[in-house]
Amino acid sequence: MFDAAHTRSLTGTVREFQWTNPHSYIQLVVKNDRGKDEEWSLEMGAPVYLYNQGWRRSTVKAGDRLTVTIAPLRNGDKGGLLLKAVTADGKALGKAAEVPP
Amino acid sequence: MRRRKMAYGLAMAAMLCAAVSCAPDRAPTRAEQFAALPDWSGIWTSDATEIDISGYPAAGMGGMGLKLIGGKAPIKPELQAKMAAQLAAAMAADARRKAEGWGYPLMMEGVAPMQFLVTPEETLILNFYRDIRHVYTDGRQHLPEEDRWPVPWGDSMGHWEGDTLVIDTVSVQLDAIFHTLLLPLTEDAHFIERIRRTGPDHMEVEMRIEDPAVLSAPWVVNFSYHKAKGLDRLIHNVFENDRSVVEGDSLTIAPPKD
Repeated sequence: MFDAAHTRSLTGTVREFQWTNPHSYIQLVVKNDRGKDEEWSLEMGAPVYLYNQGWRRSTVKAGDRLTVTIAPLRNGDKGGLLLKAVTADGKALGKAAEVPP
Repeated sequence: MRRRKMAYGLAMAAMLCAAVSCAPDRAPTRAEQFAALPDWSGIWTSDATEIDISGYPAAGMGGMGLKLIGGKAPIKPELQAKMAAQLAAAMAADARRKAEGWGYPLMMEGVAPMQFLVTPEETLILNFYRDIRHVYTDGRQHLPEEDRWPVPWGDSMGHWEGDTLVIDTVSVQLDAIFHTLLLPLTEDAHFIERIRRTGPDHMEVEMRIEDPAVLSAPWVVNFSYHKAKGLDRLIHNVFENDRSVVEGDSLTIAPPKD
């Protein structure tokens, strides 16, 4: 489903953060090479795993700028598995120590 | 039945009075019964597999490294080819299957965060997939064989040996709707677990599996857990927003509903 051997980086604006089961998703709007907006569906773990790593439902909001590292879908669709997310001010999201329970 | 309960009550009284201060000629109070039990509070997760924000282990997407799926079981030589084919088919099917939980014994690997509720009569073991095991410790026995039926979590009876919970489990259903399909055992498999807390933040499990139809010798598997550092509550799984859809031989992500 995901190509872990060819990870890539995307920078864009969050349209929606779906804090849902069985997976969470970030809908990220990214400008393509021709300057046209494209929406990517970025899959994450279930809320229990995000919560354990310090994420909360409010950690990512619509309008946030993010740079993400993903393992893209093998079929070439605009989607992938989110491996890392960094905010516009350079803060990596994802470790429990950064956002105490 | 009354005689068995009385014997259990006296045994319980002797055990508890060794652990707490009370006269051995009377039944322990409710508070004394609870005070004699180990503290397994908190939310526990596997030492071997820590799940990252991706939903996969932080070490990579190369699999969960589950011991019960790892193919290290002493499978009888004449069954190895058949079991390997069955396992490969199950793994392929699993990528497209909507599992309702992990079932037993896979849930005990602890990849899905889990909780133990220890009471004098039973220990409840549950995880984020809503798998639930009732481990009865009040002296009751398994149902007679002719009255048992296989279920995904088996039929479990337990007793305490000091601070170790010893569990005897039979009648485990290896059903396709649960991940337990990946373990190529029969419904006659017999499981004996020894679970204990080994430190403030650690627990250990030894699981012995006997299944003479499949295994050439008993298979002993060990797991260990630590307290999940970021979890102060268990957030259970449902399928409210299942966007994984089949496309050809694989899965892809369905567009958002909005």
